[in-house]
Amino acid sequence: MTSTETREQINKEFSGIKYILTSGMRSRLLLAIYDGPKNLDDLRNVLKKPSATILHGLKELENNNLIKKVNKQYELTSNGYLITVNMVKLVENWYAVNKSKAFWNNHDLSDIPDDVLKNVYLLKDAEYIHSTTSDLSNAFNSYLKLISKAKTLKIILPIYSEKHLKHLVKLLDENKLENLELTIDREILNSMKSNADLKKSLVENEKVKIKITKQKVRLFLTISEEFMSLTLFFKDGHYDDSQILIAKDENALTWAFGLINHY
Amino acid sequence: MNFKSDINNDIKFLAKSEIRLKILSELYKQPNNVRGIVKKTKITYSSVSSNIGKLEKNNHIQKINKRYHISPMAEVYLKSLMDFKNSMDLVSDYDAFWDNHNLNQLSIDSVKSITDLKNCALIEATPTEIFKTHNTIKQQMVTSKSVKAVFPYLHPEYPKLIERVLENNGTVELIIPQSIFQELFFKINGDIRRPAVKSKKLRVFKFKDELNLYLSICDENIGLGLFKNDGSFDQNRILVSNDEQSGKWAEKLFEHVKHQVI
Repeated sequence: MTSTETREQINKEFSGIKYILTSGMRSRLLLAIYDGPKNLDDLRNVLKKPSATILHGLKELENNNLIKKVNKQYELTSNGYLITVNMVKLVENWYAVNKSKAFWNNHDLSDIPDDVLKNVYLLKDAEYIHSTTSDLSNAFNSYLKLISKAKTLKIILPIYSEKHLKHLVKLLDENKLENLELTIDREILNSMKSNADLKKSLVENEKVKIKITKQKVRLFLTISEEFMSLTLFFKDGHYDDSQILIAKDENALTWAFGLINHY
Repeated sequence: MNFKSDINNDIKFLAKSEIRLKILSELYKQPNNVRGIVKKTKITYSSVSSNIGKLEKNNHIQKINKRYHISPMAEVYLKSLMDFKNSMDLVSDYDAFWDNHNLNQLSIDSVKSITDLKNCALIEATPTEIFKTHNTIKQQMVTSKSVKAVFPYLHPEYPKLIERVLENNGTVELIIPQSIFQELFFKINGDIRRPAVKSKKLRVFKFKDELNLYLSICDENIGLGLFKNDGSFDQNRILVSNDEQSGKWAEKLFEHVKHQVI
């Protein structure tokens, strides 16, 4: 047996989240009331459960000061509101990750700071594109299509890839791309400098701003006015160009700026 | 809203068992084997071993070279659950601060990132020091070069405090209800006020409606105060915090309120 002391200590540590998250009734009631104050009839319609069950759940939430009854309507207390908003965030985080399960589960996430990772719900409308055996460069081609329309690009570029750089140079030369901000480490900068073409067209280009990071950053993030995209590294340290996460909504851009500002 | 009930099973699987959460937290810190986890957590071998099996079956962990590693996705899950736990702790630890208080002025984003305040402290007035909250704020302000604040009511000491910051060549940015504008603005010594306004060292924004929030952002600290549900300001409690995260949180909230000024 695990000692009672250990067990109690662990139970105490997590009792709060267990209380809310493991009861379908309690969490659903909170969500329903969060959508707007409701009376018993409304709740019965939303939850499709008998009154007795619902009343029991309501009583518990009321005793825990998460909801209150005002003129026959149930509404959230301030504590209930704070907790429910954060529960919604948790559920959305979960949803965003699950939606692109293969993407999140295959890669090294250690360079995404905790504060950014815990707001992954902002990516809930992101699409995950992967290359297939019949189309090996599906992810890369989607990426090219996106950047070809951009006027401004901010990129955390963790790899020295002439394939990528060549396209950026082309966009700059064609004057489609007006501003490019590259966040790279010293090693990549040196590689760029040792290539005479790239040195001239990127490093010494006045449309290009280069930010140097102290360490290597193992994530490839691109942000324009219109989209954000993310590719990652495998746990073994290799870059994975076959899977890309793309989003065009404001929330995702907020998330991406949070990430780039960290570096 | 359908996805909510779907995912709940997965969330439940982790949330239901404190032991599984504890194991995941350990593996997040470092990959380990069953015996190692037993040693670290003091949970019995049989219990660790059976829960390891369940976690592995659900792809939350993987065995690589005799050690269990947390999967990247489970890492996000765990952080997300911990963040939720922190938000609940923050609510219960400062129950007196939140309970029965008006949160309307907080943006939904600031509520979602409420755990940025996790290192805060609650300052409460005591019978022997009934002005403790105000004095705390005052202390923060007089030593600060830059002050941004949302003042929902007029305290007679505010004009003097603002003067002091400006005299030290600091900057002051205020959001105040329209109703106290005259009263506050013109109480600031004109010889200090006029040049400060001209050089943009003093900026005062008027808020048209009721302002149900007290917020101060100084060089080192932030302060947050709320109104009670009965409409009165709770003068007896403020949350203060001095870390970078809470500073950013407060800045965002300040900008949010600023978007609503006249």
